[in-house]
Amino acid sequence: MTTTVATAIGVDVEERTETSEQSSTAVLTAPDIPWNLVVWNDPVNLMSYVSFVFQSYFGYPEAKANKLMLEVHRKGRSIVAHGAKEQVEQHAVAMHSYGLWATVEKASSAGTGKGGARG
Amino acid sequence: MAKAFKYGLKGITGHLEPAERELLRGLIDDVISMLEPSEAPDQDPLAALVGLDMDVRQPTDRALLRLLPNVMKDDDAGSLEFRQLTERSLRENKIGALRAAAMGLDRKELTLTQEEARLWSMALNDIRLVLAERLDIRDEADADHVHAMQDWSQAEDVESYLALVYNFTTWLQESLVQSMMASMDRR
Repeated sequence: MTTTVATAIGVDVEERTETSEQSSTAVLTAPDIPWNLVVWNDPVNLMSYVSFVFQSYFGYPEAKANKLMLEVHRKGRSIVAHGAKEQVEQHAVAMHSYGLWATVEKASSAGTGKGGARG
Repeated sequence: MAKAFKYGLKGITGHLEPAERELLRGLIDDVISMLEPSEAPDQDPLAALVGLDMDVRQPTDRALLRLLPNVMKDDDAGSLEFRQLTERSLRENKIGALRAAAMGLDRKELTLTQEEARLWSMALNDIRLVLAERLDIRDEADADHVHAMQDWSQAEDVESYLALVYNFTTWLQESLVQSMMASMDRR
């Protein structure tokens, strides 16, 4: 990811409500959660924009969005949500609409990356 | 000179000179023409209506592949199947955001609602992704190298011109995202 001078990474940990996050994943029970949504680092997307997408699309609070964004930036990838396959695929298309590089994978094949959607 | 987007009493506002608007219009048109699906004459109209595209292939152009990436890392067949179901609507989504930004450029005052700002940020991002592929930005070092080009008097060839255009759109998108964050904080 890329950052410009004005980018302040959230020292401000003001929590927002997590309504859309809850509505998107809370209905799932454990056996229904075999897929991960992975977002990959690239040298183009702005750190601020990636955090904005995590906040506005998933409804994550700023602190969580920044944590996931930094994980993408530093580790090259981050699991930003998980759920049933169809749901995770829908998230992937949304990420592609925003221009983020996202893939889906079976949860069991995930070698790295904690910090999933609902830890 | 363009002014950075800011969030204030009137909402998210910015200012672009006519030449800068013209530049952005040109970039938007370029990306739209990349994304517009080529209509095959013998295409099943019902399939097209529901967004299916069984003839779709993984893009060979790197920039287009970056806009329309594979959904699975190591499963080309699975990715292609998914592409047949979703690529058409993804293209339409992106074209929609780009057209919304182009319409905004036709207005005298650059005052954006939250939703308009979101569409603008998506459009600017896709423009930057395409420019970055043309500039061969593969890693952070490449990005830093391009970012160092800030002086328009240095624009002496296509590559340096593209780098300056890339930096301009980066700056514009960054200020827009900061304004959107500020407006979210005050909801």
